[in-house]
Amino acid sequence: MKPNAKNSRGVVERTLASIVDALEHAFYAEELTKTNGLLQRIDPRVKIVALLPLVVIAALARKLWVIVALFVVAVAVATLSNVPLRTLAKRVWLGVLTFSGVISLPALFLTPGRTLYTLPLLGWIVTAQGLRAALYLIMRAETAATFSVLLVLCTPWSNLLKALRVLRVPIVLVVVLGMTYRYIFLLLRSAHDMFRSRKSRMVGRLDGREQRRAATASVGVLMSKTLQLSGDVYLAMRSRGFQGEVHVLDEFRTGWFDWIMSAVFVTVAALALWFGR
Amino acid sequence: MTVPIFELRDVTYRYHEVTALDGLNLTIMPGERVSLLGANGSGKSTLLSILDGLCFPEKGSIAFQGEPLTDDRLGGEVEFDFRRKVALVFQNPDVLLFNPTVFDEVAFGPLQMQWPKERILLRVNEMLDQMEIAHLKDRSPHHLSTGEKKRVALASVLILDPDVLLLDEPTAALDPKSESQMIDFLVSCSGGRKTVVTATHDIDLVEDIADTCHVFQRGRIVATGAPSVILNDHALLLSTNLIHAHRHAHAPGDLHSHPHRHGHRH
Amino acid sequence: MHIPDGYLSPSTCAVLYGTAIPFWYVAFARVKRLLNTRLVPLLAVVSAFCFVIMMFNVPLPGGTTGHAVGVGAATVVLGPWASMLAVSIALLIQAVFFGDGGITTLGANCFNMAIVGSLAAHFVYRVMAGRSAITSSRRVLAAGLAGYAAINVAALFTATELGIQPLFFKDASGAPLYAPYALHIAIPAMMLGHLTFAGLAELFVSGGVVAYLQRTNPVLLGQKPSARVDEARPVATSVWGTTRPLWIRLALLMLLTPLGILAAGTAWGEWGAKEFSDPQMRQQIAAASGNIAPPSQQPQGLARLSSLWSAPFPQYAPPFVHRPAFGYVMSAVFGSGLILGFFLLMAWMTDRRGGGAPRASP
Repeated sequence: MKPNAKNSRGVVERTLASIVDALEHAFYAEELTKTNGLLQRIDPRVKIVALLPLVVIAALARKLWVIVALFVVAVAVATLSNVPLRTLAKRVWLGVLTFSGVISLPALFLTPGRTLYTLPLLGWIVTAQGLRAALYLIMRAETAATFSVLLVLCTPWSNLLKALRVLRVPIVLVVVLGMTYRYIFLLLRSAHDMFRSRKSRMVGRLDGREQRRAATASVGVLMSKTLQLSGDVYLAMRSRGFQGEVHVLDEFRTGWFDWIMSAVFVTVAALALWFGR
Repeated sequence: MTVPIFELRDVTYRYHEVTALDGLNLTIMPGERVSLLGANGSGKSTLLSILDGLCFPEKGSIAFQGEPLTDDRLGGEVEFDFRRKVALVFQNPDVLLFNPTVFDEVAFGPLQMQWPKERILLRVNEMLDQMEIAHLKDRSPHHLSTGEKKRVALASVLILDPDVLLLDEPTAALDPKSESQMIDFLVSCSGGRKTVVTATHDIDLVEDIADTCHVFQRGRIVATGAPSVILNDHALLLSTNLIHAHRHAHAPGDLHSHPHRHGHRH
Repeated sequence: MHIPDGYLSPSTCAVLYGTAIPFWYVAFARVKRLLNTRLVPLLAVVSAFCFVIMMFNVPLPGGTTGHAVGVGAATVVLGPWASMLAVSIALLIQAVFFGDGGITTLGANCFNMAIVGSLAAHFVYRVMAGRSAITSSRRVLAAGLAGYAAINVAALFTATELGIQPLFFKDASGAPLYAPYALHIAIPAMMLGHLTFAGLAELFVSGGVVAYLQRTNPVLLGQKPSARVDEARPVATSVWGTTRPLWIRLALLMLLTPLGILAAGTAWGEWGAKEFSDPQMRQQIAAASGNIAPPSQQPQGLARLSSLWSAPFPQYAPPFVHRPAFGYVMSAVFGSGLILGFFLLMAWMTDRRGGGAPRASP
């Protein structure tokens, strides 16, 4: 279903590829939640309370070694939860490294401080502070991203949303988020079908202006569909008794395992917070 | 004398300059199994929406169980009561299934009716077993086949045990196995406990699932009667675009054409 | 423009969450009043739309592609408040489920793109479209420019937030803890990319949607202006009224930034190339660097690079800016002034449009 790499030029191909990727990503995520690893067995509310602080601490701590230590913890938790490291590398680590790596590269040279190394040909100076700045940025991004991905890969999306209420997120937001998630896939599918039919009718390559017209027309069609859909869904909701009050129902039950794991995670977070301040 | 469950008088409904329903008169008695037969665009879906109190006629009146069904009267407890009693299964399952998971979908109705939590959990799981979709409980609707979606849709309306079931093209786009399950279900709705109104253009369905047929054309009812009578009136069916008359052969080399249906004969 | 985790300090994240929350609250109240029971399906579906739009590759002149956020289109069709919510929700899902943008920085991203973006788009569109006919090409242009403005104002805010990080947040050795580039690098770097590519993508998408709807379904565009005209009068007072606490907060923020000069002494690292030769500055640098004497000559790299950065943008870095104190003050005032100026503009525009006596809200 992925377009041929050689033909990956032009807006249609690339948008199609990114849509397909999103759909596959979501499907893969739903599969992983069904295995019986460490994180999968923990109540979603406990998971949120356990993992979110770790994301926050990794992003904000002031000591590099604490961030690296948290990264190691993340990898350990991933392994115990049946998340293949190769998947993490492909989906998270590589992307973050590329993005933050490129962003932080100039910082090596631009941050003033103690000279560490001089590039032979160009004479540019890498400073110790520059290196540290780059490491901070990259390690933070990697660690925070790993923890958040773990949270999402090991919990069905709808359960994750319902568990947000433990953070006092308003119910209406939880309900809207659930419906948004459900309809993202419908719209993605529509967009995918639109682009595929457009692609099959394309002879040769469109020029820039025509491509732009194709892209904006698709956006317009999607917007029309979106507004139509909202009207229809409203009627469907009304038909089932909806009069404005939102409710969620979950089947969450915490057991001893959840409490032990939450104690473990809270301890880790507290230590990281203390040492990283 | 029993009060009709639905009574429509001279109902007219226009939408974007198109007259969807034109001076319609219809009476449905409780426990009746009614089929609204008509080609696409003949007004059947609009009528179902009106029966479900989702849109209201410009002209004419509609009464449910003897009480007028209008926009002003619906609201609060009256509406909750109405919604519990009357259920509509839309044609487009993507509109009907708007919750993140199958479980949430089936639980939606009871949650709106504010049943106690434990009762909802119990009934939802019972319903899922009954419709043989328990294994789909945590699945998201976009991962289901059309047949599975329709079963979820049915489960989510039947959980409230409605008195009236309105179905819009229930067998459209279904694979044979799902279609036969659907038909089995519709057949079993006899016995007068539920009023079932099915809108369809599939005339092969009608014999088994309905006692009364109303034939639609351009927003009006052009014929009413028992399925056996209606289905033998080939001229009517041809003029309302419910059957076709393309060329075919009963034996090799014998091409001819006459009105016919594709269906099973036994 | 999505800021990932780790690029902003705890205080920056907290401040931006704190600034976003009142806007979310106001937006929700307004949208609920307008939509009532239709709120849930409309918001959900439009958020899904924004999410999908963010995945589109929009072809740009020159053979490149860019991504649009959809804030221009959403604002023009639904108004700024619904757009704020829809884009925020789409950003939340992107961040949590697809890892695009951080969780700690979600407040910042929503503030920049959804909140500031929607407001900027709204006002540009109102000013430019005026009372022209629904199907006029002036509206298409207005929508396009509204999208363009939204993205660029959002980028400016983003760049400012990133640019002040190395000023305030460094570890014991002086290395920047979060985003490492100061304002005079961050702003030009971000603005260049957005004034050209990203802004154009948004321009095409916003303009394109309006053009498409004009052809196919002008009713959708038609509802909004008349509703807005009715709303204009109550909005004039209610926007001002509900944002008054925000004004005070921002004013305080603006007042606090110059305190940084006093607290930090000289801004460590914010030295120009010439500083290294000036004996007085050398002493200051040494004092701030834990008494390590700076190199006797300016670091060659610094010399080369500082000319590289100042040359293309003379208006950003006139020579005297390289004096640390001045540069610092300039950045702080510039950043805060932008925020304040924007809100001044917003209030002025609303008053001008609304005119007359305030009416009771619908």
